[in-house]
Amino acid sequence: MKPQIDVFKAGNQMAAQAAADINYHVMGYFPISPSTEVAQYLDMMGVNGQHDIQLIAADGEHGAAGICYGAATAGARVFNATSANGLMYMLEQLPVQSGTRYPMVLNLVNRAVSGPLNIHCDHSDLYFALNAGWVILTGANPQQVYDLNIMALKIAEHQDVRLPAIVSYDGYITSHQKHNVKVFENAQDVREFVGEMKREGYDFVIPETAPVTVGAHMKGDDFMNNRYQLEVAQTHALRVFEEVAAEYEALSGRKYELVETYQMEDAEIGLVILNSSADIAKSAIDKMRAEGKKVGLVRPNIVRPFPAEALTQALKDVKVIVMGERADSAGAKGGNLSHDLKAALHDANMTTPVITRIYGLGGKEFYASDAEAVVTLGYDFLADETVEKFGYYGVNPGDSEKGQLIQRSLEPRPVSDYVTGKITTTFNEEKNKVDVKVPPLRMLTSKPKRLVNGHGACPGCGIFSGLELFFKGIEGEIVIVNQTGCAYVVTAGYPYSSYQQHYVHNLFQSGPATLSGIAEALFEMRHRGEITFADSATFVMVSGDGGMDIGMGSAIGTALRGHKLIMLEYDNQGYMNTGAQMSYSTPLGNRTSTTNVGKVRVGKQYAHKDTAQIMAACNMPYVFTGSEAYPLDLVKKAAKAQWYANNVGPVYGKILIACPLNWKSADHDGTNVVKAATDCGFFPLYEVEQGLTTITVDPEAKKRVPVEDWVGYMGKSRHLLKPENEAILAKTKAEIERRYNQLKAKHDSEYL
Amino acid sequence: MEFIPNKHGFVEIRLESIGGQGAYSVGQMLAQIGVEGSHLHAICFADYGSEKKGAPVKTFVRFAKDDVTILNYSPVNEPQIVAVFHELLFKTQPVTDGLHTDGILIVNTDQTPEQLRAMYNLNVKTIVTVDATKIALQYKTKLNTAMLGAIFSSLNFLDPTLAADAIEKMFGYKYPHLVEPNVSTFKDGMEQAQTHVFTDVEAGIAHTRKPTPFGYETQNQGGEIAGPNSYTKNLTASREGMMPEYLNEKCIHCSNCDNVCPDFCFVWEEGVDARGRAQMFLQGIDYNYCKGCLKCVEVCPTQALVSMVEERDYADAHRVQKPFDFLGGVK
Ligand SMILES: Cc1ncc(C[n+]2csc(CCOP(=O)(O)OP(=O)(O)O)c2C)c(N)n1
Ligand code: SF4
Ligand code: SF4
Ligand code: SF4
Ligand SMILES: [Mg+2]
Repeated sequence: MKPQIDVFKAGNQMAAQAAADINYHVMGYFPISPSTEVAQYLDMMGVNGQHDIQLIAADGEHGAAGICYGAATAGARVFNATSANGLMYMLEQLPVQSGTRYPMVLNLVNRAVSGPLNIHCDHSDLYFALNAGWVILTGANPQQVYDLNIMALKIAEHQDVRLPAIVSYDGYITSHQKHNVKVFENAQDVREFVGEMKREGYDFVIPETAPVTVGAHMKGDDFMNNRYQLEVAQTHALRVFEEVAAEYEALSGRKYELVETYQMEDAEIGLVILNSSADIAKSAIDKMRAEGKKVGLVRPNIVRPFPAEALTQALKDVKVIVMGERADSAGAKGGNLSHDLKAALHDANMTTPVITRIYGLGGKEFYASDAEAVVTLGYDFLADETVEKFGYYGVNPGDSEKGQLIQRSLEPRPVSDYVTGKITTTFNEEKNKVDVKVPPLRMLTSKPKRLVNGHGACPGCGIFSGLELFFKGIEGEIVIVNQTGCAYVVTAGYPYSSYQQHYVHNLFQSGPATLSGIAEALFEMRHRGEITFADSATFVMVSGDGGMDIGMGSAIGTALRGHKLIMLEYDNQGYMNTGAQMSYSTPLGNRTSTTNVGKVRVGKQYAHKDTAQIMAACNMPYVFTGSEAYPLDLVKKAAKAQWYANNVGPVYGKILIACPLNWKSADHDGTNVVKAATDCGFFPLYEVEQGLTTITVDPEAKKRVPVEDWVGYMGKSRHLLKPENEAILAKTKAEIERRYNQLKAKHDSEYL
Repeated sequence: MEFIPNKHGFVEIRLESIGGQGAYSVGQMLAQIGVEGSHLHAICFADYGSEKKGAPVKTFVRFAKDDVTILNYSPVNEPQIVAVFHELLFKTQPVTDGLHTDGILIVNTDQTPEQLRAMYNLNVKTIVTVDATKIALQYKTKLNTAMLGAIFSSLNFLDPTLAADAIEKMFGYKYPHLVEPNVSTFKDGMEQAQTHVFTDVEAGIAHTRKPTPFGYETQNQGGEIAGPNSYTKNLTASREGMMPEYLNEKCIHCSNCDNVCPDFCFVWEEGVDARGRAQMFLQGIDYNYCKGCLKCVEVCPTQALVSMVEERDYADAHRVQKPFDFLGGVK
């Protein structure tokens, strides 16, 4: 056995620790709760030189999986972590990785697949992965996360397997709970255990080696054989698991069998359950045993390949099997693993009844008492065979009186409430521009906000002051679509909504597409005379800057198609909803949870994305930037945006908003920070109308403030003022200058 | 309190706080000290959600002797110790739900244990109060380390001399300049905690798991929500001591405040100006939704908005209610 030390850590930390111990070459990742911490911990260790893993922040999970695949074909050791919709978004890459036989390890931190959106634990993501051809290991607690991560790589790379592997563990429960755990004192022992990366005998894309072609397409007869090879490899993986587990036991003293059994020796009822719930259920088993009930528990450590024999063996003497499943395959009367198990029993000529209960979906809590209630169903069945074999545990019909909260409680507002008549927009043929007149903003306070009070954003959050100021400039009804992000999460958490206008949330990368569909459907139905609504109805897609990373394709597609709608980005320079990871809009050198400040790296390594210019290059009729620091400017732009969206085609707007929580700026400074961002030239306020650029708030006319003023407001960037970071600050200034001068040139010329 | 486990073999602690107060760090430090200093087993976690700063969060710590492997990963429903980081939470959360009557309740408040007991009708043997907010203001720290001190004042199975180490570990890496003031905050919290043991408590603990009213028969298919309803929430617990005061006589009704308020707290009404024209006039602030960010104070050109330390009952007395158009006029 190798020396180990006791630590107090959570599952995500353990996955990161295992990865650092192994010292993978590459991690291509994209943040999603609850798996994001894995990359965060690795970045934290990385900036201080504790491993050499290249952490690559992708543009979305599809990109992340692509990075991982590419790196694997190059013969690197590759690592990733994701959850729920992250897995869904990379799903099509998974069979590519397994079908072309490139090993890697992916931690799947189990979370419910949307919708309704839910960030908590269930196994619906895992069940989608079951058919991907990957080896899938399943762990119950942080210790197992560590151990299985080390074993997974060795199984995946074994010459008889050569498949990518998933390590699945429960979101929040295992990922975030800190436990007493053991880790190897010397990473070297782990590195020796997994061994050097073996490249000889396999095909990799490495310069100056004999060239190979990866990913040729196949016809059916060849494809059949490719798939059969994969099936054979999966079969080998069962044996290899046992071999690797035996070696690992020698290394660690901890024993992993294909399935863990607990109190099964003379059990008459056997509970089969995955991951953390198995640990929780153990105390229910103990309690029932103490009451003289012969009950036991079985928890697989691996579900692909399916350990059929080990399971049937463990369950061979029970009278009833109770299966708790944390995901369903709706309509199949049992989740996937129930059916796998039933098939295995059938093949083993066993007729043991299986009672399945779907439990704990979306993180619905599962206490030991729940485990007891589920196991007791086995006895109920023995007493009365009409007990339903399949059902949901933990649903309730509801309370028809208290359910009232979701009934309408406010009078729907007539469109006229949102029309003050005090804003005028007229198209000026001569200038090929829209002339806008807005009254003193005081007069617009008569217009109701589009949201009612009571959203759950942090104190001082700039999202809603920014959005509502923009909405003040729009006369008439708005239909709002949100992509996932803070703006959505704090305004539409069931059973509450803050929206007085129609509102749809769709996934993180599909807002522009969704709004395109809404707008075109409504126009078509109106055209056919089926519905009526005023021309002033304005369609607005609200996204964070992160949504414009993962959803850039959808936004560009929408811009190019010319729909009459507005895409409005609120830029808080990071993925704030998931805990302040970097976005491409994060400025150079800034500290985020995935760009830490340490001895070998300081903050984000490259400059911020210029989304407004990217969108302007789509030649949309109107593109603008704005902020609450210049309210009149923003309201005017909103009025113009409405005119273009109502009459011509798509509009893109980017407003900079403060996130005091993650910018580590004072709550009261929200307006001041974004003002300094404009006044120092970092975030110039301008518009690109019919292709012509106009700087609308000229920082030079009012004396530009030093970049330091802006940087100094925020804890996430204040370290740039230290002498040792002078070079980064200089680079920041130079980039601001270069972009600003370019913009000025555009302002001055009708050809740029 | 000595290490007296409950019937499951655990000592269980629940921290009631609002996001941003650093209760989770306190939970981690407690667990860490228990594990490293007292050779206990522990697990520590929070009820993570999508909640932001200012929203209620619960943190759980579960201890056991080191011969017990903790396999209960479920939230703590029947704690022996509850620490409430923000007194306003008594109004919006069932903070003492399930607390053992012979347990300990630790509260951040300027009141004494006796006063607190009377105010909230508390039925728990030991009440500890500490003015953590004041201590933190003094050292320009967060109040969490003061609460940690107060918790230590009532637990003797954890070694307080290890707290300084734990604080160092927590802040040392990213914010080394915060270590010292936090150690002082901790010490003051421990010293200034007032403890009162009441003998006349009723036995028994009451914890009930309430099912959601939105069941499969009452929830709209697909989960749609008919119109806005978040206005029914009370957000006052999001304030951490400061709030804006509105001085109507100084107001020029420019709407700067309305433009930057993230929570739409400013209430306007139409009236006529000196020249007899229709114009909008600011009536005041709906404190029910005010999170105390003070952005409005920054942009007010006439000091009609100034920041003030929140006084008990001021908000209720000075709230100008935002009018809502209730369906059929029924609230
Ligand atoms: C496919 C997918 N990947 C990742 C996520 C996780 N996720 C949800 S919101 C978010 C960040 C949002 O960032 P941004 O759009 O900038 O909005 P903010 O939260 O900053 O307001 C992330 C990473 C997701 N929901 N779906
Ligand atoms: S995390 Fe930032 S962007 Fe999100 S609600 Fe809080 S302040 Fe707003
Ligand atoms: S900013 Fe000040 S002066 Fe202007 S409306 Fe608000 S309170 Fe009145
Ligand atoms: S402090 Fe001012 S700006 Fe902030 S929420 Fe309260 S009223 Fe609004
Ligand atoms: Mg963002």
